[in-house]
Amino acid sequence: MLRIEQLAKYYKVNGQDVLALHNINLEINKGQIFGIIGRSGAGKSTLLRTLNLLERPSQGRVWIEGEDITAFDGPQLHNLRQRIGMVFQHFNLLYAKTVSENIAFPLTLSGKYTAQEIQVRVIELLELVGLQDQGNKYPSQLSGGQKQRVGIARALANYPHLLLCDEATSALDPETTQAILRLLLDINQKLGLTIVLITHEMQVIRTICDKVAVIDAGEIVELGDVVDVFLHPQHEVTQSLVAENQALDLSALERSDQDPGRHLLRLSYVGTSTHEPIITRIAAQTKIDIAILQGVIGRIKNTPYGQLLVELHSTQEQSETVENLLINAGVRVARINAAAGVH
Amino acid sequence: MDFSQIDWGDIALATLDTLTMTGAALLFTVLLGLPLGVLLFLTGKKQLLEQGFLYGVLSVVVNILRSIPFIILLIVLIPFTLFLMGTSLGVPGTIPPLVIGTTPFFARLVENVLREVDKGIIEACQAMGAKTWQIIWHALLPEALPGLLAAATVTTIALVSYAAMSGVIGGGGLGDLALRYGYQRFQTEVMVVTVFILIVLVQLLQFAGDKLVLKFTRK
Repeated sequence: MLRIEQLAKYYKVNGQDVLALHNINLEINKGQIFGIIGRSGAGKSTLLRTLNLLERPSQGRVWIEGEDITAFDGPQLHNLRQRIGMVFQHFNLLYAKTVSENIAFPLTLSGKYTAQEIQVRVIELLELVGLQDQGNKYPSQLSGGQKQRVGIARALANYPHLLLCDEATSALDPETTQAILRLLLDINQKLGLTIVLITHEMQVIRTICDKVAVIDAGEIVELGDVVDVFLHPQHEVTQSLVAENQALDLSALERSDQDPGRHLLRLSYVGTSTHEPIITRIAAQTKIDIAILQGVIGRIKNTPYGQLLVELHSTQEQSETVENLLINAGVRVARINAAAGVH
Repeated sequence: MDFSQIDWGDIALATLDTLTMTGAALLFTVLLGLPLGVLLFLTGKKQLLEQGFLYGVLSVVVNILRSIPFIILLIVLIPFTLFLMGTSLGVPGTIPPLVIGTTPFFARLVENVLREVDKGIIEACQAMGAKTWQIIWHALLPEALPGLLAAATVTTIALVSYAAMSGVIGGGGLGDLALRYGYQRFQTEVMVVTVFILIVLVQLLQFAGDKLVLKFTRK
């Protein structure tokens, strides 16, 4: 669907090149929801804009549905952009037009549809985003969440195959954010639409994304399935982004005593093993007490997952036995040094 | 004061002349100034059709025209007006200098109003595959309409006072009347009535302008 090869972007500032993006390689499959997460200024917004050439790459190529779009210009570029929807953080609606006129706008621009076809399509879209009765209102009469629904309907008007979301929920309250994310997921499933979104919130990634790329200082530092990245973050930036969205708080465990007989383990498990009584079984089998200190069970998109922090009072050898049994049961195990506060 | 000496027919005629001059000049000012303002906006730094050189030239021309006092512009333009209208007197002789005097002013206001339009809206239009003319016609101008109406109101009021000034070169209208009767013939009553009519006129124009702006404000 979408491939980015060796992409780089420089800006000239006072005659000097400033690096915004560097060595970006990505592949995004059809029907996927792909998240790009990073702190502000990491380059995620620039990266998203290279996909419809609102930003032109300095180097590298972008392929969309088998076409190298990097050199597109004029009518070819207008045509490409009509096939890619985009949703914005601040909605960017036309305030002088009604909701219906806003949704009809990209259709009018394309010049391919009759007034009647546009009218039918607008009604269809209003229904899709749940704004049936709001067509004649002006955007200023709507709430933030409703405005974003108009933005989404407008982005979908031209039957795009690809939807770009630029911090689409960052200006919304948590409840509205969830509703908009559900809508995006719904659209993804109903229309088989590929979605690329950027965000600075792990919550957004966790709720709807299949794959995630973590970007820092213009480079992709981590890339993979959301479940893997969320439960086993490798890069420092990923770890801190995950930590903000996680119930497990290691700082509460900091103790001054360094008891060698005390083993802290972090257990992560996904899918069906979430619902099995693994811990009690192993404890009964080995006759080693396992104390559960903290735990969280949640959902990453459709995958249930759990994370537990457990403590064993045992010898090194016994601890290893328990670890092996856990691993055999499909649980990921990480040893924690509480004093150092390692993730 | 003896208002019974006043020829109200003259006053009515002069008021009508002032309205004609203002109206005609406003029409041409908008026809010329709106495109010029849009061009200034588009060619400006970091805008859709950034053209540093063209912007520089336009900007200097606009500044020069705006720096010439209107009373001098009236006199300097007499040969041009004569060539264009066949006369430099009366209502027709006043319209060209009025238009040339207010067009750069209006164009600058238009440029500023357009700059106030949220950049995100332009970006959204680009992302939808809009061509530049579509962005201007379907998004920028409608979004900026309240601001443009306010700019037109300010310009209209400037035109009323410029039109009055044109009495000096025999331009007709309320200014001409005030000058000939009120100043040269010491008929203070005529001066008072003229000024009163001008005050009422400006109040009415501002009121109507504000109403229009409000009618088209959707934010």
